[in-house]
Amino acid sequence: MPPLAEIVDVDNLLEVVWVSLVAGIGATAAYAFAILGAARALDLSRSGRPAEAVLFGAMCAIALTAVGAAVVYGIVIMTNK
Amino acid sequence: MSSDVIVVIVVATALAFDFTNGFHDTANVVATSISTRAMPPRLAVGYASALNFVGAFISLEVAATVANDVIQADLVTPLMVFGGLIGAIAWNLITWYFGLPSSSSHALIGGMIGAAFAAEGANAVLAEGVLGKVMIPALVAPLLAFATAGLAILLIYRIVGRQRPGPVGAGFRAGQVVSGGLLALAHGTNDAQKTMGVITLALVANGSISQEHFHVPDWVVVSAASAIALGTYAGGWRIIKTMGSRIHKMDSAQGFAAQGAGAAVILASSHVGFPLSTTHTISGAVIGSGAAKRLSAVRWGVAGNIVVAWLLTLPAAASIGAVTYGITRIFGTGAVGPVVVSVLILIGAAALFARRAQRGPAVTAAETG
Repeated sequence: MPPLAEIVDVDNLLEVVWVSLVAGIGATAAYAFAILGAARALDLSRSGRPAEAVLFGAMCAIALTAVGAAVVYGIVIMTNK
Repeated sequence: MSSDVIVVIVVATALAFDFTNGFHDTANVVATSISTRAMPPRLAVGYASALNFVGAFISLEVAATVANDVIQADLVTPLMVFGGLIGAIAWNLITWYFGLPSSSSHALIGGMIGAAFAAEGANAVLAEGVLGKVMIPALVAPLLAFATAGLAILLIYRIVGRQRPGPVGAGFRAGQVVSGGLLALAHGTNDAQKTMGVITLALVANGSISQEHFHVPDWVVVSAASAIALGTYAGGWRIIKTMGSRIHKMDSAQGFAAQGAGAAVILASSHVGFPLSTTHTISGAVIGSGAAKRLSAVRWGVAGNIVVAWLLTLPAAASIGAVTYGITRIFGTGAVGPVVVSVLILIGAAALFARRAQRGPAVTAAETG
């Protein structure tokens, strides 16, 4: 039997590792920023600070868009192979 | 004529396995959503079932690996495939009965290896393919899911840690609708393809498909997708309890991190054709999300039982697959052997279901919370 390094599909295995880390951690962190933005926007608008509330609202929208884009991009890549 | 009858029995058995796969693995997909109350149990199961069906159409890379890289395709006979399937189904039923989330994928691959070994000896098993495309990814995937979920939950707590728990919890419960959906999609993609690969292997062995022009027929894709979706809908409540609350009590952020990490690992692996265990991967993510918060939050005894079930799966399913092949060959190479074994396995399954029913439902919606 050939050595382990030749048997294991190292390129594909490494691709799985980095894609999983980037997508798994990146998307969940982006969603956490969306929640942070929404929670802060709600608190600030209740305490009469609308300008800052809008900024946090925008952060929430951008983060949600990033999560949505990541999900769609991942599925498109899967279906196009 | 006789070989066509055997192929029909093999296809029916493969779809039955696919059904038990969905039934067995429902818990892996929906347990986190249910235990954090992101979704009510019935809705979570129905939602996962629909996305399992859709997921089966996304890719065929895993089906190609199962058909070409595990056992020597030109030595395969429909009887061998039948023995492998029975090995997997029997082991799935046994672990379902005892509430252990073992791997349906490893049961299937173990069953195929056992039957092939019994029929043709070690030459029939593609050791390099099994090691490089099944065993190594199978070891890496749960550890990767563990690390991804652990790092993700640490980052999440860092980002939202100072916010009021009410809106944060509600936000992550809403997020779990998406992350749970992705996990169900990933499960359908990776697991339904294994059945597609096995059915295609039987069709190649029967001469219905040329090995040179390997392809998975559309009817195989649709029937495998339907079987796993129906199995998922039927659900496996005992295992839901193990996965959802016995390993550790999780909050919605942990559920979100575990589902997101699990989906990322399974989808990335499916993309390159690794037929990994969705059970192992999701268990790794669930344990990682708990351990990152507090090591003592994980019930390591339960996690240890799961590891024991993992270690037993490949040899146990291989042994049952080998014995099944031997029994079918007692009746010759015709359809009598598979018919007799199918009747025996149906009687055994009915007895297990009846015994489980006598003991009452293992978990209720109220218990899962």
